[in-house]
Amino acid sequence: MPDLLLAVRNVRAGYGEAVVLDDVSFEVPSGESLAVLGRNGVGKSTLVLTIMGFTTLIRGSLVWRGEEITHLAPHRRPRRGLGWVAQEREIFASLSVEENLTVASRPGRWDLAAVFELFPRLAERRHARGHHLSGGEQQMLAIARALMTNPDLLLLDEPLEGLAPIIVEELTAAIRRMTGEQGSTLILVEQHADIALGLTEHVIVLERGKIVHRGRSRDTLREPVLLDRYLGLTLSDSPPASGP
Amino acid sequence: MISSFVGVLFDGFAYGMLLFLLSVGLSVTLGMMNFVNLAHCSFAMLGGYVTVTLMDRLGWPFLATLPVAFLAAAGASAALERVLFRPLYRASDLDQCLLTIGVVFVSVAGAAYLYGTVQQPVQLPGYLRRAVTLGSFRFPVYRLFLIGAALAVTVVLVAALECTRFGARVRAAVDNQRMARGLGIDVDGVFAVTFALGSGLAGLGGALAIEMVGLDPSFAFAYLIYVIIVVSVGGLASIGGSFAAAALLGISDMAGKYYVPQLGAFLIYLVMVGLLMWRPAGLFGRR
Ligand SMILES: Nc1ncnc2c1ncn2[C@@H]1O[C@H](COP(=O)(O)OP(=O)(O)O)[C@@H](O)[C@H]1O
Ligand SMILES: [Mg+2]
Repeated sequence: MPDLLLAVRNVRAGYGEAVVLDDVSFEVPSGESLAVLGRNGVGKSTLVLTIMGFTTLIRGSLVWRGEEITHLAPHRRPRRGLGWVAQEREIFASLSVEENLTVASRPGRWDLAAVFELFPRLAERRHARGHHLSGGEQQMLAIARALMTNPDLLLLDEPLEGLAPIIVEELTAAIRRMTGEQGSTLILVEQHADIALGLTEHVIVLERGKIVHRGRSRDTLREPVLLDRYLGLTLSDSPPASGP
Repeated sequence: MISSFVGVLFDGFAYGMLLFLLSVGLSVTLGMMNFVNLAHCSFAMLGGYVTVTLMDRLGWPFLATLPVAFLAAAGASAALERVLFRPLYRASDLDQCLLTIGVVFVSVAGAAYLYGTVQQPVQLPGYLRRAVTLGSFRFPVYRLFLIGAALAVTVVLVAALECTRFGARVRAAVDNQRMARGLGIDVDGVFAVTFALGSGLAGLGGALAIEMVGLDPSFAFAYLIYVIIVVSVGGLASIGGSFAAAALLGISDMAGKYYVPQLGAFLIYLVMVGLLMWRPAGLFGRR
């Protein structure tokens, strides 16, 4: 039984009065990868933001390596080992590529040399300012920046969104290297269900703020009805169901 | 004619440098946390009174009082930040204005109580009271000193902001507070240090201002308006912007008082309105 890294227990959370997530529970053991799937607006980003401490948590708890972090200040969570790649990338525009990487770095396996090896493109652009990067470069930088904090768990929020196919391939390869040979633990939020299921071991599917399916990614890939129902992976757009 | 023009330019620039020292701290902290600190000039005034007190009552030399003015303002602001301001970071702009304007009233009343409402004189050392003559131009040494001090502060600030990890954290927090926190940067801590440094610079400015504009308890209000103009014209969190705006305002204020005395101090408001209509986010502003 591998160590339990993160446990999300009966979480109800949202923004102020607006409740988005309801009774969400799952666990992430060390060394495993979890895909979080679901259509636009079901609460995937809200889940990531809740783990990072940026939403209003109404009920439930977050447990990190056996310690409660439910009310821990957001900036202390990365110091415990949570790494976050935001959906909007949120590159610091007035910092250079290298400064973006080093501004919050912590010592560990991932240093400048290691992330430049993972993303050679960033090495070429190391002195460029954040706002001069293409979308693909920004995404690489966002991932590399999170890696530089040497997290034990990496939260990736739709890293492939809106990128050219060739960049998607490059990033997919990089993520595969992280989960595969490097054994990193990660939560991968995606709309590209087929790619995400190919990259991860386990999956949860969200629908209107609730978990409506959980299982092994490999098995889920062989469930066309489910994929169609919650993710609209084929053409039809059946009405959303309200339970598993 | 030419010599009066050069004189106005020089005096205006020196005055602008004073405004720069007084306002650069507010520019950075306002840009970073969106905290509306109207009490900024109270810290400047504190620096001024520290210098007056040390010189008058304890006989310290002028230059030796300057670091103390800086430290006193920085220390006082750090204490206030902890106790009074921090709980209001997420409050509305109006709440922040009300609280900090209250601090201004308290500081004005406190200064009047302790020192009376009269202008406080400073007796500058002889070498600062001289003037350098260059052809037909005469440059008072004190104003040269003021310009030199402001330029030195600018160089140090820019270097600290651009070349240190702390400076990168300040810029990251100004850019995107949530992401900075999400990477583990202690934004509140970075802000507290920046806030203290900015207030310290205001304190230094307040000490240096006495000779040029005088010091009495109304200082905290009188210069608030100038500082706010510099910050809004210069753009938030931009040292270059504050520098340019302060120089421009100092020169136009002097030029206005010299060439169109009927308008008096009104010219700078025209300049401000014009500049803000041209560039609403300020000269170098990003927001
Ligand atoms: N800052 C916010 N304030 C209020 N509601 C929000 C905010 N951000 C997102 N929402 C709402 O929360 C729901 C879930 O959004 P989100 O978590 O971004 O979905 P997803 O990432 O799955 O596309 C949506 O209905 C969205 O409108
Ligand atoms: Mg999202």
